[in-house]
Amino acid sequence: MSSDNLYNPSQEFFVDMQRCIGCRACELACAECETNGQESMIHVNYVDRAHTIQTTVQVCMHCDDPVCAIVCPADAISKDEYGIVHSANTERCIGCSNCVQACPFGVPKKEESYDLMMKCNMCYDRTSIGKKPMCATVCPSGALYFGTREEITEMRPRSTPVNSFIFGEETVSTKVFIMMPKGSKELKVF
Amino acid sequence: MAKLPVEIEKIIEQYGPKLNYPPKEGYHGNDEPDKVVNTHCCFCGMQCGIQLLVKDNKVVGFDPWMKFPFNEGRLCPKGVQRYMQNNHEDRLLSSIERVEGEGFRDITWDKAMDKTVSGIKRIQSTYGNDSFAMLSGVSLTNEKSYLIGKFARVALKTKNLDYNGRLCMVSAGAGNKKAFGLDRGSNNYSDLEHAEVIIVAGANISETFPTLTHWIWKARDKGAKLIVIDPRVIPLARTADLHLDVKPGTDSALYGAMLNYLVQNDLLDHDFIDNYTSGFDQTIDSVKEYSLEWAEEVTGIKKEKIKEAAELWGRAKTSFLLHARGIEHHSKGVDNVLGCINLVLATGRIGRPYCGYATITGQGNGQGGREHGHKCDQLPGNRDIENPEHRKYISEVWGIDEKDMPGKGLTAYEIIEAIHKGEIKGLLSICFNPLVSLPNSNYVREALDKLEFYACIDFFLNETARHADIVFAGSLQEEEEGTTTSAEGRVIKINKAVDPPGEARTDTSIILELAKRLGVEDKFTYENSEAIFNELRIASKGGTADYYGITYQRIVDEMGVYWPCPEIGHPGTPRLWEDKKFKTPDGKAHFNPAPYRPPGEVTDEEYPVVLTTGRVVSQYLSGTQTRRIGKLVDQYPEPLVEIHPEMAEKFGIRQRELVKVKTRRGEGIFPANIVDTIRTDTVFIPYHWPGKKSVNLLTPGTLDPISKIPEFKVCACKLEPMGEIAGDSHFSKAYQSP
Amino acid sequence: MIQFVKNLNGKALLTAFAVTFLMLILIFLGSRNLQNFDAALITYLFGTIFAVFGITYRYTVWLQRPPTWMYFKRGFQIFLKGKIFSHLWFVSKQAVLNIGFQKFVYPRGKFRWLAHFFIAFGCVTAFAITIPLTFGWVHFVFAPGSFEIYEAHFFGFKVIEFNLGSITAFMTFHALNWSSYLVILGSLYYLRRRLTQPGVIATQNFESDLLPLILLIIISVTGLGLTYSYQFMKGFAFDFLAVTHAISVIIFLIWIPFGKFFHIIQRPAQIGALIYKKEGEEMGKAVCPHTGKEFDTKLHIDDLKIVTKELGFNFEKADGSSYLDLSPEGKRSTLAKAHLDARLKDGNLFG
Repeated sequence: MSSDNLYNPSQEFFVDMQRCIGCRACELACAECETNGQESMIHVNYVDRAHTIQTTVQVCMHCDDPVCAIVCPADAISKDEYGIVHSANTERCIGCSNCVQACPFGVPKKEESYDLMMKCNMCYDRTSIGKKPMCATVCPSGALYFGTREEITEMRPRSTPVNSFIFGEETVSTKVFIMMPKGSKELKVF
Repeated sequence: MAKLPVEIEKIIEQYGPKLNYPPKEGYHGNDEPDKVVNTHCCFCGMQCGIQLLVKDNKVVGFDPWMKFPFNEGRLCPKGVQRYMQNNHEDRLLSSIERVEGEGFRDITWDKAMDKTVSGIKRIQSTYGNDSFAMLSGVSLTNEKSYLIGKFARVALKTKNLDYNGRLCMVSAGAGNKKAFGLDRGSNNYSDLEHAEVIIVAGANISETFPTLTHWIWKARDKGAKLIVIDPRVIPLARTADLHLDVKPGTDSALYGAMLNYLVQNDLLDHDFIDNYTSGFDQTIDSVKEYSLEWAEEVTGIKKEKIKEAAELWGRAKTSFLLHARGIEHHSKGVDNVLGCINLVLATGRIGRPYCGYATITGQGNGQGGREHGHKCDQLPGNRDIENPEHRKYISEVWGIDEKDMPGKGLTAYEIIEAIHKGEIKGLLSICFNPLVSLPNSNYVREALDKLEFYACIDFFLNETARHADIVFAGSLQEEEEGTTTSAEGRVIKINKAVDPPGEARTDTSIILELAKRLGVEDKFTYENSEAIFNELRIASKGGTADYYGITYQRIVDEMGVYWPCPEIGHPGTPRLWEDKKFKTPDGKAHFNPAPYRPPGEVTDEEYPVVLTTGRVVSQYLSGTQTRRIGKLVDQYPEPLVEIHPEMAEKFGIRQRELVKVKTRRGEGIFPANIVDTIRTDTVFIPYHWPGKKSVNLLTPGTLDPISKIPEFKVCACKLEPMGEIAGDSHFSKAYQSP
Repeated sequence: MIQFVKNLNGKALLTAFAVTFLMLILIFLGSRNLQNFDAALITYLFGTIFAVFGITYRYTVWLQRPPTWMYFKRGFQIFLKGKIFSHLWFVSKQAVLNIGFQKFVYPRGKFRWLAHFFIAFGCVTAFAITIPLTFGWVHFVFAPGSFEIYEAHFFGFKVIEFNLGSITAFMTFHALNWSSYLVILGSLYYLRRRLTQPGVIATQNFESDLLPLILLIIISVTGLGLTYSYQFMKGFAFDFLAVTHAISVIIFLIWIPFGKFFHIIQRPAQIGALIYKKEGEEMGKAVCPHTGKEFDTKLHIDDLKIVTKELGFNFEKADGSSYLDLSPEGKRSTLAKAHLDARLKDGNLFG
């Protein structure tokens, strides 16, 4: 949004939660991001701790047709020309949580004390000046990776980036990719 | 004498641990720092590169250092929050002295020095020089480690100097010396990249060395098979190709059986064994009875899995074996290490690209700190304090008479035992918190209470220092220039970011001042850290850990230099043994028999459960630093006892119910975390917490006969559910537990 | 142009015309058939009329959006469904705290709150004074037969009287100055924040974040300038200040429906969201089938299922079960499990 924008569209975000080791470096690093004032916008949680050590990590997938923005009664959420879905506009958000419950990826967070929704904006303070997002920079396991399509294809020969997700009757396509077995076209979640 | 001067709650109130959180919009000036300092994380042997942002002599934030080749910006949560140890309200801004009934009060440097020096002199003149001991630690730089080795021998004139590496990787060191004649990871981690099989034995890499995960994942992307040996399904094991859920204390049986399998199926590199090794026949003789069935019986691992592991390992063309404290913290830690090395040597996969073997050193400078004379039996360059030639060389470097060089002293836990017995009366410690990190902490506390004089150097008042007479306000890692050596053997540069605040001083200047007042100023005059390093280079020259060719400038220019580096023009040695010339007396790599024997304490009717201990990702060692950083504490606020549902059912334990865990040495109460991800016969408790929340109340002081490492990883316990569900972890305040 | 007309929202257009017409009637009545109308303020009047039209149009368009309409509808349903006094008390309390004092800004930063409060209080006071003046609803006259006592009339009825030299007089005549100072202080704080904080700099843009602040400062400074120009500087640059003030105020007014200032109009909806949540809680909670924990009100989740469908999103399976029944954590875990299953099916957990 700022005039001296250096956002590099050839760099994309790739997630593979099976690589996640649950260390939460991303979570602590996210809080260091200047746009969200010590609040972490990334989610790391145990999937079912009683039975497995599996953790999952979730950044905003930046949907092509963002449900969060469309269900917002206050028009507080917007998508920019690079496809980044921004955190709620502070003066408009009325804290209703529609976005929190409608997002199929469970991303937006309601910060109760601020009566405000906050979400990942792909570290806009960093990506807009050509840096990588904080979480993908520190991630020690490659569960989060930010780089070009060529780089990821070369690094992960057994995987394909996928950005189509099925939830019931709905198919959601996103700017952020998830790494799936080679040849996959989509991930059926529900 | 050294009992607490006042009730513990009052000390906690004044000196913490208290939690530090960053302000909501970051520290003032982190967007426009005065300077950006390229340095390394102070936690763990990975020594990840990191940039610290400095404003007005304060560390106000960090930025990933993308150019440092090992981690390229990647960090773990401890690294991300490491900057929060700076600007901390608990920081000692002045030296303090104990006042009976009151606690501690500030004291001038002059008085602190006077009291300490007179304490040392009184004890040494009454009971002899060796009755005053020193304990140190390897979060210190190479310069400080070297300086302390020299200080203890030349200024304190005591033989009793040892360090907290004794709780870390001494078993690996001893094993490596026996097998290779040298103590360093044989390869750097880029050799992982094309390894076909990787064995990770007793190393919870994803929590204790998270940034190493990248290199293992990289290898897997290239098709490597990953074998993880651990009693728990650690995050690395969840996706591993093979997880061997070994019963704590039985590792050497597993390695013995695997070696026997390799021999039986002739999965051996005969050329390598014949030409470059010795001791093969005795070694295979010691395992010839170790069938897969027997191993299954002892280790609790299905024999099919053991076979598969042996097959994978035996048939691989390239491989890398990594191990850490999980196999080293045993009364047979050295045997476990030798068992691993035997597997490496039998297949001849060492000294070639992508054929590697290494222990993963735990502490920040665990590698460098254990090379330059900070161990009770060692002189700089990894020399032997009992070897006449080595003594002579170092005496010359130090300008002392060889007769005045003390001999081999007691190891860390033995020093505590000697204090308990009344043989050691005085102690100076730095960078060591034995009350949390040593086993059987009730016994350690009793020992501390018997000291006639105890002085400590630290930046925070750690739990042990509460028993001190004098605490000198020392420096944080970012307050002094120096070098460390990462777990890969890479010597790197720690750059000073800020000056010590208030009246605090650098650790080096404190040691130098003490030396001066002990009458040896002429041997302790250095212009700066680089001057100490240059003396270290000379002292290490010709030793196995030879740093002579490494200079500050080279480290900066080359992003670190791997030792041995005997000449200025030498490129350094990222991969050892390419010439197959081992540093043993016969020049060969040695097989060593490592027959299985049971751990120091086995389960019985009274204590039917195996207790093992370990770490969590958000805490580091005894927590002196990380238990003061709010977000790290929040991530895992208190130690939980991990119990398998089958065992929980047997004892009638519910999720989050408080459970009293009892051993022959003590007891502690921990909330239960009932999970399938642990063996059914074993419980696990992490160790970073003090006081009543310390699992080291329970652990035994059994030592390995060679390395003298305590057996943290296995003992027998019993479980008693308390009938009460634990409250919210965040309110437990375990980080400051009295 | 034809496209533009076609795109206009009929309902909103009608409402906007109706409200504007109503307002014109009120101006006519309130100014006693324009006899109390101050012709010097005519430009401001046109600006205000345009703003009212625009605001009503935009507000009505906004209300018609399914999520907004759902809240609007539920808000009234809840409000009218008995317990009116309890609701009235709740709404008044929340209005004072959230609209009056903007308490939700406080946790974001003490100074941010104070600055926002200054701007809000200054603006609201200024509107409360200027709009009735512009409409001719309020005017001041000397009390009959006196040159000392001043009377304030509202809709032509005398409301108060005060002595010219009194404190009341001083405060009343200078009220706009006081509000200007508050607005300037608050705006300068925010301007500084927007020019120095990297996180804010990254996501702001000129026309929606900086321009409003600049505009507020121009309005307040020129407004103050007018006072001081005739009081102390013998009318120095008075015309220039008057024109600048008028232009900036009119820009401000007609920009309300389109820009940042629309949040002033939107904000009361927050009270609606609060009462919706409060009532919803009494009507029962939704429990996540994955975590087994309560995570929101059942009312909200059920309404959201309707709203998302209206908006063209169908998160239901053929059997009628809905993905929206999962909590955010449940959704994340479900996705992770689906991903794990896909990997396992491929035979390789890692790839």
